[in-house]
Amino acid sequence: MASSTPTSEPAVIVQNVSKRFGQTTVLDDINFEVAESEIVVLLGSSGSGKTTILRIVAGLEAPDNGSVILHGREVTQIPARLRGTGVIFQAYALFPKMNVEDNIGFGLRIRGKGRKEIREKVDELLQLVHLEDHRRKMPSQLSGGQQQRVAIARALAYSPEVLLFDEPFGALDAQIRSVLRHEIRNLLKTIRVPSVFITHDQEEALELGDRIAVLNAGRLEQIGTPYEIYNKPLTEHVANFLGSANLLSGSIRDGQFAFGDSLLEIDDVESLSDGQAATLVVRPEDVFLRKPENLTQNYQRLAVAQVVEISFAGAFERVQVRLEQSPNKNIMITRPKTETAAFPLAVGREVTVGLVRFRLLPAGKTGE
Amino acid sequence: MSANLSGVRHTRGFDLVKPLSITVIIAVMLPLVLLPLASIFIFGTSSGLDKFWAALMAPEAIFALKLSIVTSFWATVFNVFFGLFAAYVLSKYNFWGRNALIVTISLPTAIPTAVAGFALLLLWGPYGTLGRLLEPQGIQIMFTAAAIILANIFVTFPLAFGVIKPVFDTMSSSLEEAAATIGATRWQTFWHVTLPSLRGAIVGGALLTFARSVGEFGSTILVSGNLASRTQTAPLYIFAKFNEGQVEAANAIAIVLALLSFMIFSILFFARDWLEAD
Repeated sequence: MASSTPTSEPAVIVQNVSKRFGQTTVLDDINFEVAESEIVVLLGSSGSGKTTILRIVAGLEAPDNGSVILHGREVTQIPARLRGTGVIFQAYALFPKMNVEDNIGFGLRIRGKGRKEIREKVDELLQLVHLEDHRRKMPSQLSGGQQQRVAIARALAYSPEVLLFDEPFGALDAQIRSVLRHEIRNLLKTIRVPSVFITHDQEEALELGDRIAVLNAGRLEQIGTPYEIYNKPLTEHVANFLGSANLLSGSIRDGQFAFGDSLLEIDDVESLSDGQAATLVVRPEDVFLRKPENLTQNYQRLAVAQVVEISFAGAFERVQVRLEQSPNKNIMITRPKTETAAFPLAVGREVTVGLVRFRLLPAGKTGE
Repeated sequence: MSANLSGVRHTRGFDLVKPLSITVIIAVMLPLVLLPLASIFIFGTSSGLDKFWAALMAPEAIFALKLSIVTSFWATVFNVFFGLFAAYVLSKYNFWGRNALIVTISLPTAIPTAVAGFALLLLWGPYGTLGRLLEPQGIQIMFTAAAIILANIFVTFPLAFGVIKPVFDTMSSSLEEAAATIGATRWQTFWHVTLPSLRGAIVGGALLTFARSVGEFGSTILVSGNLASRTQTAPLYIFAKFNEGQVEAANAIAIVLALLSFMIFSILFFARDWLEAD
């Protein structure tokens, strides 16, 4: 449905975009691309600048520097109404005095299309978003999810260059969110329109994005597939924002990571030099607790620790342990049922902490 | 005992306060509002419907009613268009002096109507600031229908604005942004998106303005000259006939004006919900 380009040229290019509001730098040299039929999620907390990026791509806000290119056309100076983007606003912004059909047909009507053409297109879109039975209803008579589908159909009607979603699930409760997320991902994969989503919800980002761009205080810290972002975070902020992470400070010694009196083997040493301070990042599910004598070769021994808290979290158990050599630092571990059955724990018990997988970041590259 | 009573009041039982308080409201309204209104109808029809009809059909009476309706109509048209425009500009743009402008637009409601009429005379009258310049050209505004329209515009100036502006203020800006990203021009957005949401406010503002204009007396009597069959509006006619002792003639027109206001307020009451429904 998007205007097709024969080349593999990206659908959207955001290049060196910066924006200040008064004294505050809202966006600092943002660069990313969205490929044809790709879904990119901009993930960040409020104030990270994600909404501003979306508005700049849509033309609702002008950048101070940099440019926006849609399917090879430089649009930075072009007003919103001539850009052909489809924005799905947080509250959907359906026109309250138009019924579903008229909302969807609006883009074609103002483009002076004939009645028959509009009717056919509207029928096709109503079918696509499964709202055939609601065509005569007013927006106020629809549920949140239905309104959202009308908003998407309304944008699709005029074959947008890109769909831009501004926290589209923000107003809905958790259960509906996950259903809608699934629906929308399927829909977007059917229609193959390049899309940019903004959200502060990591679960949403992981489920929706082909790629995720993590924003922090106006900077784009990392962009990559959900797998890359989760397993190979480039900054502490990224590690903490997407999923939870344990961070431990140590240093590089003889090509190994030294933490207290333990030394851990590392695969990827090229970015780190001897003597350099480094931060170890490990996910709670990559930490294993064992009796001291039972630590097999599969695990790298980190330290001896004492269990300080155990909480039941449904599918898994969450454990906090205090490391003997740094008593003010707790490590969080999540243990699946197989683990808890094989090795039941109690508060106060002494255990050995082993790691299966971790990342090292040069210290200082904290991202904040 | 008192504990017992309050128990009754908050559960089932007979609640004395309810009928009592309703009776108080009606008892207060009776001499102040209801009886005066009723007496127009009682007196007006007491000497028979024939007489009432004859009084109503007197050429002077018909002229006065027509003049009131026509002058009020044009004042309403002007104030609704101006109110719509001013409300749009003042809620869309923020600028230095914006609040001062809003206060100024709303000011005419606070000015006594006699003062308003007098002020118009001082400006447009034959010896007035501007009227003095127009008189040699043979243009006279005061003591014509135009003067009545000017007076009506002045005293009802903020009414339509006051009803329309709050609707603009609460309108989400994302609607306009959505229309823009879809490709609508400013005008298309206004026409297809903004205006439909204002239907109720526009009709409401128009009816209020019209109702207030039709009944205007204080400013009209100063600027119109009160010439029968030339510049005499319906309220002036009532006053003139009453002064001449022709109470039936005054009463007939009073009934028509009262019915007209009932009609307008019924429309305001029932039609706005319908117009504003999504």
